[in-house]
Amino acid sequence: MTVDAPPGILDREKLFAARLHAARVRPYLATALFALHPVESRQVPTMAVDRYWRCYVSPAFVDRTPVEELAGVWVHEVAHLLRDHHGRSDRVARQRGLTGPGERLRMNIAADLEINDDVYGEGLTRPRGAVRPQDLGLSENQLMEEYLREFRLGPGLRDLAWLECGSGADGREREWDLGPDGAHGLGEQDRDLVRLRVARGITGRPGSAPMGWQRWADEVCHPPQPWRELLGAAVRSAASGGGAGDDYSYGRPARRSTALPGTVLPSLRRRPPRVCVVVDTSGSVSDAELGSALLEVAAISRAVGGRRDLVTVVSCDAAAQTVHPLCRSAGIPLVGGGGTDLRTGFTQALRARPRPDVVVVLTDGQTPWPVSRPPCRTVVGLFPRPASSWDESDPDHQPDRPPEWARVVTIGPA
Amino acid sequence: MTTSTPFVAPDPLAHASRLDVAADLLALLRDTHTEPRPDTQLEALTLAVAADLPVLLWGEPGIGKTAALTQLASALDLPLTTVIASVHEPSDFSGLPVVGDDPAEQGVPMAPPDWAVRLVRAGRGLLFLDELSTAPPAVQAALLRLVLERRIGALRLPPGVRIVAAANPRSSAADGWELSPPLANRFVHLQWTHDHDVVVRGLGGTWPRATLPRLDAERLPQAVDLARRAVCGFLSARPTLVHRLPSGETRRGGAWPSPRSWEMALRLIAFATAAGSGRDVLSLLVRGTVGDGPGLELMASLDRMDLPDPEVLLARPADAVLPERGDLRQAALDGVVDAVRGRPDRDRWDAAWALLVRAMETGAPDVVVVPATTLASLRRADWPVPAAVERLTGVVSLSRRADEAGRRAALAAKAGR
Repeated sequence: MTVDAPPGILDREKLFAARLHAARVRPYLATALFALHPVESRQVPTMAVDRYWRCYVSPAFVDRTPVEELAGVWVHEVAHLLRDHHGRSDRVARQRGLTGPGERLRMNIAADLEINDDVYGEGLTRPRGAVRPQDLGLSENQLMEEYLREFRLGPGLRDLAWLECGSGADGREREWDLGPDGAHGLGEQDRDLVRLRVARGITGRPGSAPMGWQRWADEVCHPPQPWRELLGAAVRSAASGGGAGDDYSYGRPARRSTALPGTVLPSLRRRPPRVCVVVDTSGSVSDAELGSALLEVAAISRAVGGRRDLVTVVSCDAAAQTVHPLCRSAGIPLVGGGGTDLRTGFTQALRARPRPDVVVVLTDGQTPWPVSRPPCRTVVGLFPRPASSWDESDPDHQPDRPPEWARVVTIGPA
Repeated sequence: MTTSTPFVAPDPLAHASRLDVAADLLALLRDTHTEPRPDTQLEALTLAVAADLPVLLWGEPGIGKTAALTQLASALDLPLTTVIASVHEPSDFSGLPVVGDDPAEQGVPMAPPDWAVRLVRAGRGLLFLDELSTAPPAVQAALLRLVLERRIGALRLPPGVRIVAAANPRSSAADGWELSPPLANRFVHLQWTHDHDVVVRGLGGTWPRATLPRLDAERLPQAVDLARRAVCGFLSARPTLVHRLPSGETRRGGAWPSPRSWEMALRLIAFATAAGSGRDVLSLLVRGTVGDGPGLELMASLDRMDLPDPEVLLARPADAVLPERGDLRQAALDGVVDAVRGRPDRDRWDAAWALLVRAMETGAPDVVVVPATTLASLRRADWPVPAAVERLTGVVSLSRRADEAGRRAALAAKAGR
């Protein structure tokens, strides 16, 4: 027999029964659900979280909501924290210059949309009033940042204005927040560990969690790489290594030598790096991918002091074409299509006089590679391809991995 | 209303007084207060410097690395010497070759720069090598010898000198300097970021004053013991993490696990424990030494080490102290039930029930449900149900309520279809 608590007093049993139900139907979230610390609060309209993993609960809301819906709210609130909605809101606010409570309300709604489009079902009831993308005429399975671009606050959203998931959802401090020094808050380190444990649980048992959670867990375990920065660092490092760029040399006396008789000082010499970009123009690489990567390499080589005429481009499919200087900027003919043999591209690039200091290869990797290390630094920008791309005539064929001597940067979509 | 006359003969007195006013204004601007504020970055830096490990601060230019070093130097009571690496030549660090009267006979001595001579003469100090990454490669090579071998020309830095270096992140460094894996493995890497609130409040006139950690002399043996147990226990469970060269572009130039860096991690755990530092500080240090992944895993295993020992809990269930956090509490209770399963006898079984009652009375009841169900299944036929179970009725009804909710949710889903 169950006895409801008198109105106005938090019915803890009901609240915890809901959490238990949530943990039973979503076992991979159990760690996170139990790590939440409930705090009774009369100022909160429903349930709200702060970034220190406290969950503020309104007794009246618990009273009027059935257990199965409360379970949905628990999962909803913990999803805000696991998906770092407060941190992402702060970042979006800075990047796009969004200020004011109205914008934060939009972030709360966008975060709700990201959660609500895939956490319910499979034993978990969607709470009444939970806003879904289709309620706003939007498509499903997007991220909070994407939803945020697609709607504005208007009279149509007036009935959503009661939405209130707390500072854990949109980063704006609330008057009921206990703050970083209050009791039972989780430190940054603890939050990272809870997040990591939940993500490991999901990736360890693929298939048991819906797509949104899988995507989230993949990103926690393997965060996306900023390929522009990595490619830039690789090219810069290759171009400024010994033999190129600014460095000291004893080949000529330093200017300071006249001031210090009897002392031998080296002088600063400069030799701008020559960069040759070998572009894989086979049918498997799209023009958009090539364009963005090529622009990036050109910008980077300018930044390291390479003059435009020192950057050359070789477009390469089964047979390499001629070498073009980049100063004919717009008109580099990227001819090709069909299969690739990058070995001819390397030969072509190294035949140039003077020889390049760095060869940057942009490719999807479906190609044979040179057997021996070429006499210059090599950076490979690799367009990722799903493992399923295989040759019909030769099902056992595995494309060769880029060789050990090259620095490989995987170029992602962002 | 008064208007100023455009042409006035220059009056030297008026000039001086104008500068005086400017000096007054400058003095007003300099008049700022400090307030105590916990600062995990600075605390981590202090501990690493105290532990005599070379630290490399990674941070964008202009975010207060120098200010932090000034504060650190005053806290450790060390004179600060700042050397901007990018404006020096390699010979400033490896020594200036000075040709004497008879080089063939006497050799060419490598003369050290004046700051090094002063530092050696003082015998102690904090040497801050700023802008390491914007220096040309030959300068960097000379500097690394200074950091790792502590030699400048013919001089050797005395042990009382601590060295901190700073570098810009790879992505913003003008020329892409990066550490080779063997060098990266010798540093504690700390990412230096600025805190928006601190900057805004500081510009408003109140800068933070970090309270820096102090080592507690009485806790030293205990700290060493804990650090050894933590690292050895973790590495015997995860042998593949003892040595793992960084692969791939992202981890290049950063921290990675090797016996050397694990030894550094062990030393840092001991220092953080002796100083009573929090988890966030320790996490920064450990991740900066053995890398993010292995560092996080070690922190997770420390979490488990913190759980109370099941045997101790079973021995005295009446005054057991369980973790406050729900997920840790459930882990502790699961550990107790596992211990009973491992060596089942009636006293231990009864003690476990008493513990579950205590858990229910001191915290959220839902975490007790799973351990209670498992414990009930361990009952032998000749064991009577303990009286404590009576007091767990709340858990039973809670579990029943969750079951009902599950049934209703399933029915609703069927009806909705």
